[in-house]
Amino acid sequence: MIDWFHPGLIYILGSALIPFFRGTLKKVYLLFIPALAFINLLLISKDVFLSEGKTWPLSFLGYDLVLGRIDPLSIVFAYVFVIASFCMMLFALHVKEDGQHIVAYLYVGSTLGVVFSGDLLTLFFFWEIMAWSALFLIWYRKTGTSFRAGLRYILVHFFGGACLLGGIFLHVQTTGSIAFETFQLGAGLSWTNLSSYLILLAFIINAAVPPLHAWLSDAYPEATVTGAVFLTAFTTKSAIYVLLRGFPGAELLIWLGAIMAVYGVVFAVLENDIRRLLAYHIISQVGYMVCGVGMGVVGTPAGEMAINGAVAHAFSHILYKALLFMGAGAVLEVTGRSKLTELGGIYRYMPITFHLYMVGAYSISGFPLFNGFVSKTMVVQASAMWHLPIIWLMLEGASIGTFLHTGLKLPWGVWFAKEEPACKAKEPPGNMLVAMGITAFLCTLIGVYPKILYNMLPYPVHYEPYTPAHVVAMSQLLLFTFIAFWLLRKRLHGEPTITLDTDWFYRKAGERIIWFCEKPLMTFANFLDRIVLDIAGSVIWFSKNPAAAFEIKKKEMLLAGQRRLAKSGSIDLCRQSLEEEKRKYPGELPGLTLGASIILILFSFLLYLALYLFAIP
Amino acid sequence: MKHFLGILYGCLVLSILAGFWVNFYLHPHHYFVWENLPVFSALYGFIGCIVIILGSKALGHHWLQKKEDYYDQPESPGRKDT
Repeated sequence: MIDWFHPGLIYILGSALIPFFRGTLKKVYLLFIPALAFINLLLISKDVFLSEGKTWPLSFLGYDLVLGRIDPLSIVFAYVFVIASFCMMLFALHVKEDGQHIVAYLYVGSTLGVVFSGDLLTLFFFWEIMAWSALFLIWYRKTGTSFRAGLRYILVHFFGGACLLGGIFLHVQTTGSIAFETFQLGAGLSWTNLSSYLILLAFIINAAVPPLHAWLSDAYPEATVTGAVFLTAFTTKSAIYVLLRGFPGAELLIWLGAIMAVYGVVFAVLENDIRRLLAYHIISQVGYMVCGVGMGVVGTPAGEMAINGAVAHAFSHILYKALLFMGAGAVLEVTGRSKLTELGGIYRYMPITFHLYMVGAYSISGFPLFNGFVSKTMVVQASAMWHLPIIWLMLEGASIGTFLHTGLKLPWGVWFAKEEPACKAKEPPGNMLVAMGITAFLCTLIGVYPKILYNMLPYPVHYEPYTPAHVVAMSQLLLFTFIAFWLLRKRLHGEPTITLDTDWFYRKAGERIIWFCEKPLMTFANFLDRIVLDIAGSVIWFSKNPAAAFEIKKKEMLLAGQRRLAKSGSIDLCRQSLEEEKRKYPGELPGLTLGASIILILFSFLLYLALYLFAIP
Repeated sequence: MKHFLGILYGCLVLSILAGFWVNFYLHPHHYFVWENLPVFSALYGFIGCIVIILGSKALGHHWLQKKEDYYDQPESPGRKDT
């Protein structure tokens, strides 16, 4: 009797069979995999398979791996990943290439592997599969830009993976355990702290915390239309999950998260590419979650509110961000354009896409009755409960910016803004619209009936989102944001520019370092090389026949002296004889008598003795 | 369009009035001083939005925004971006 079956393995093993199906059967099979995983999860959470806290142990190199850690935290993340993967696959169903579906499911499966891993080696294993399967979702776009962006993406993640592995090795060495539990994060210099910081570094690279975030806004917008939708959910949210496991209540994360939330907003103002604008809002929204992790001191009411908030916001975010990327992807799919400067006025062609996109926009902005409202406000509430006024203001300010860009600037620029449509367009294929419809329904359902979400959270929820005070404050905030947007909308048109971000350091500064190595450094190296070779060459030349060489050098000097005295007649003769001697060099070597040789040998011994006695102390 | 603006202005006034109603009749628990101001969220939304737009644009125009082919240009002559 099977104890349980790993939901991630359903995806990973299931993806191998995709090429064996054709036509409609393949579409059914593609949707069957998440459905099966969902049923599996239901059975797990209803204690039919493996009850809570039990693991699926496996022995490896003398360590006991834990492939299935079941508790409320892993279950809630697994649910949202599986539900989102269903909607995303529905959105991608029209894609003909099997490879894209295979890597997408490898990506989903490995993320579930990360979620259920109870030890660090399993974590690392799935972590790496997740990194490179995502790479192929970018590379399947098959353009030069996406190839280079993908390369930069994977280099950053290789660095993160190396940090993780180094941290894990140090951790295992110092503690002797591979269990994935909360890490000690102290201030002093010790191996334990170093291992914790390395692991934290790897986690926050995946969570896209500035200044280590540029891989996200660089690479995700270059992915395929459907690949980008998958990418929005898994890497960053699984990073939130591992942060919740490893570093709840790490104070550093409160500030990093709040800065992140504002950072994404500022960059989104400047962005012209709609998918890159949305990518900056992933960073901003994940900022709320990172902040929640930082405030999540286990055992305190405010801390549990923060953890609940981070989990709930990850859940909501996966759904509405997928919806937003589906909307932007649909526009790219039918028009081939993704820049605000090249779009505009296409509402008459794509009204359904617009309205479905707007559900995502209301959700991310935190409009009452949408899922962002019931989850984001929990994190903000936690910051109030901790009495952190600056954090509170930063998070509320990021809310303003979120509505401003995803809810106003982007839809205004894409669907309106111009009197005449910028290009021909039509509604996207049916499967895309249905996928957007289902996701929009889920966003609204959770917004209207938050109990569904709250019942899944790891701690009991003592929070009521729909109080008059919350609803009125949020309405005021959003309505007056709209007024400010309306007044300044002329300033918000897209500009055909790109924005410098921290990827500049490896795209431009890195190139400068290479240039420095190739040009000044190499010139200097060549110069040194030549001098050394010249010296060595002349020493060799000299030692071939020292006596004759001395003679030649002496004559050369004499010749130079004579030239200065300007006796032109004899100079030519001298020069000719010198040339002759140089040509003959080394010529006949003078035979040395035995006595002279012995004296020379003795002399060199003497030299060596002197060196030995005096020069070397 | 006229319809839309009418509804919008209605909502604005309503939200402000609701702010006063909440603050003076329901007395919700306040965490920060500024929550005593019934129109704080409206002010913060309006001013915050303007600051975000103008601040970011200034940052972009003076420093961060570059031409689209910025990264395609070779750093030094003779070196080609592969």
